[in-house]
Amino acid sequence: MADAPVQPQRLLSRRGLERLDLLLLSAEALDLNGGEAMVWLSEEMGLTDLFPNRVELWKRRCSNPLRRTTRRDRITEAEADGLIRILNALADRLYPMLRSLLSSAEPPQLSEQRWALFRSRLQELLKERFNPRRGGVQRLLDPQEGPQLCRELIQTMALSAGPGGFTRLKASLMDAAA
Amino acid sequence: MKLTSRYEQTSCRLVLEGLPDLSAGQSSQTIGILTGFSLALAGKTELEGQRDHLQALLNVVLPYARGLISGVSRPQGAEDVPVAIRPVDGQHELELRSSQPDTPPLRLPLDDAELSDLVRCLDRLQLDPQVAVPLEWPDPQPLRRSELRHRLPLARRVAAPLTGVAALLVAGLLASLLPTPKPPSSAPAAVSTPARGG
Repeated sequence: MADAPVQPQRLLSRRGLERLDLLLLSAEALDLNGGEAMVWLSEEMGLTDLFPNRVELWKRRCSNPLRRTTRRDRITEAEADGLIRILNALADRLYPMLRSLLSSAEPPQLSEQRWALFRSRLQELLKERFNPRRGGVQRLLDPQEGPQLCRELIQTMALSAGPGGFTRLKASLMDAAA
Repeated sequence: MKLTSRYEQTSCRLVLEGLPDLSAGQSSQTIGILTGFSLALAGKTELEGQRDHLQALLNVVLPYARGLISGVSRPQGAEDVPVAIRPVDGQHELELRSSQPDTPPLRLPLDDAELSDLVRCLDRLQLDPQVAVPLEWPDPQPLRRSELRHRLPLARRVAAPLTGVAALLVAGLLASLLPTPKPPSSAPAAVSTPARGG
């Protein structure tokens, strides 16, 4: 029997890795137990072969070049898929919160308070874990540009949730370098 | 026996009605032939249509959502299709065009949350094993560089090449200011005679 044709490896680009880790960080900013939820979801979804423990999960996320302590080794396609699946499940759990942030039907004052809370938590996490000298981090911390970028992160999470979210987000993370 | 499938998500309710296609060997609980569908979006008119309209809806909404997730708001739906969607004032506008002449199109504004709800309903329909209606689902693909180009502001796109050109010009200017080395003179160099010891 002839061997099946070998599919070319589809590794995430540098930008794809940055976005994926930023989205996971956004999930942590929305949910104070987000870090624990990732470990729990990873076990729940049977990803223990890829991420046997929280340290390995952490190491894979540290492939993001925007991190303070970044790892040079690129993550494999299976590892990237695992992280995207975790994000997909997190976004699904957080969907009511994502929706309330995006909805224009919410009272404006309440909506602004929610956004301010999310942005402040995200900024704390960024300052703690990311390299503040990188342009991508500075833009997120910028008072002018940051809010729009935060909204894009939340919108991406909302469209990454649910049954079709995995393929949509994966395709987006594989975009050509702009 | 008429079958119904419902997909609900906060502001959106999509209901499919149909019959099992027993001739195709489908189960009696599977919708194989679509007799109609209805789509209710919160606070807006309830829409009804046939398979072609549902196909037109997912042909525009899913690629539009695919673009948005990459930060690209690109209108979807040509002039001759029954459904179109486009970005309007930071929101989205779903346009439904009637096949009846002289009937103006129905335009429904959707905010980001309502669009996400609609996308989730369509996703659930796609993966529902109880629905085997022949529909073509757009496959999400990575965007090409040209499709992403307008995502970055012009100033940031041209910043790197302009800096490069400016650096080259400055370097060239500075280099031109340096004195050129003088050619070696043709006169023989003075040779000092060694002092004679004695």
